[in-house]
Amino acid sequence: MAYTKEILNLAVEIGEAMLQNGAEIYRVEDTFKHILKAYEVENCNVYVLSNGIFASANEGQEDSCSIIRHVPQSSVHLARIAALNQLSREICMHSCSLMEAWNRLDECRALPDYSAKKQILACGLGCAGFAWLCGGQVIDAAITFFIGCLLRQMILFAGVHGISNLMVNITGSFLTTAVSLFMAGAGLPVLQDKIVIGGIMALIPGITFTTSIRDLLNADYLSGFIHMVDALLGAVEIAVGVGATFAVYEAMTGGVFGL
Amino acid sequence: MIVQFLVAMVATVSFAVLYDAPRQELLFSGLSGAVGWVVYLYLLEGVQINKVLSCVAATFILTLIARILAVLRCCPVTVYLLVSIFPLVPGTGIYYTSYYLITRQNQLFAATGLATFETAAAIAFGIAMGFGLPQGWFGIFRRRKKFEERLERKGTDA
Repeated sequence: MAYTKEILNLAVEIGEAMLQNGAEIYRVEDTFKHILKAYEVENCNVYVLSNGIFASANEGQEDSCSIIRHVPQSSVHLARIAALNQLSREICMHSCSLMEAWNRLDECRALPDYSAKKQILACGLGCAGFAWLCGGQVIDAAITFFIGCLLRQMILFAGVHGISNLMVNITGSFLTTAVSLFMAGAGLPVLQDKIVIGGIMALIPGITFTTSIRDLLNADYLSGFIHMVDALLGAVEIAVGVGATFAVYEAMTGGVFGL
Repeated sequence: MIVQFLVAMVATVSFAVLYDAPRQELLFSGLSGAVGWVVYLYLLEGVQINKVLSCVAATFILTLIARILAVLRCCPVTVYLLVSIFPLVPGTGIYYTSYYLITRQNQLFAATGLATFETAAAIAFGIAMGFGLPQGWFGIFRRRKKFEERLERKGTDA
């Protein structure tokens, strides 16, 4: 019967969309099971990894079917997760037919990002805020604002041109440190370290780290560790970018800043 | 302290925009982030307990707030939790670890590296404790009337 296949396909597509937008493993598996149950497919199995979904339904019966999906990592989109969650609730309440569900899924996937202008402004504002919170003065926050805007622009540019995270992290933290050293070198009364700390907040993999912990807590150890390695690498890349700038500065001026 | 709260709120909301949080939830994720930061600051500077414990306590409270908000607003807890962690993330630690490494101050490097790791572990532990409480306890925050209104409007189950 093609019907089971259709249901399984819907559940996997919803799960895939959730995973792609940064939901944790447990949520994806849970949603999958609930959807199949709502459509009265009792016999089902699902295994979700941070970048893949394996699912089967009605194994051993005539209408048995299975799906394997590779889900490449992409950026976090919280609004889509919220919308997909809402959709799966409605499916469970039986207030949503199969056809409707497909249309709603397309709507959820098409939820737009905030405009580039807003993202850039928000990034600047956020970085400035964090620079101030960690002890910077108003002038540090102001400089960090521009660095944050620049970094977001870079991230957006990298997204369009398919530049890897590694490059973004290293060049981003290099740029941040270079600008801060330049400002301090130019004799402005700035706290150089606060500017860098505020600036690198735009790059720090805080989301990946939190997701990894939530996966580990739900005993999805494999995905948890994959995310953890991702977060650690991100932190190391940022440290390398900052460190490299200091090394270059040292070579150029013959002295280390602050010593 | 109020200024700290407001700045933390603005910063968290800004980062929520970067991760495309739903427009109507922006302020709430900012709220949990700001509360987390103020609790951390109060414990660290007001009560003067050590950094790791303050971080655990702040993350714990922040996670609880995120879970309460999730029930109140019928929205996945992820939306609030992920961004509200940001003020506590040890950016300072990463910076100084790398700085001390390059300036060859090995002892400071080891100490800061360890402290950064400790902070990260503290956040992890705080979240773990926050999720340790059973979901049922959060049911009391479900406002009956509002919940039914939402049910009608959205056709949803919390």
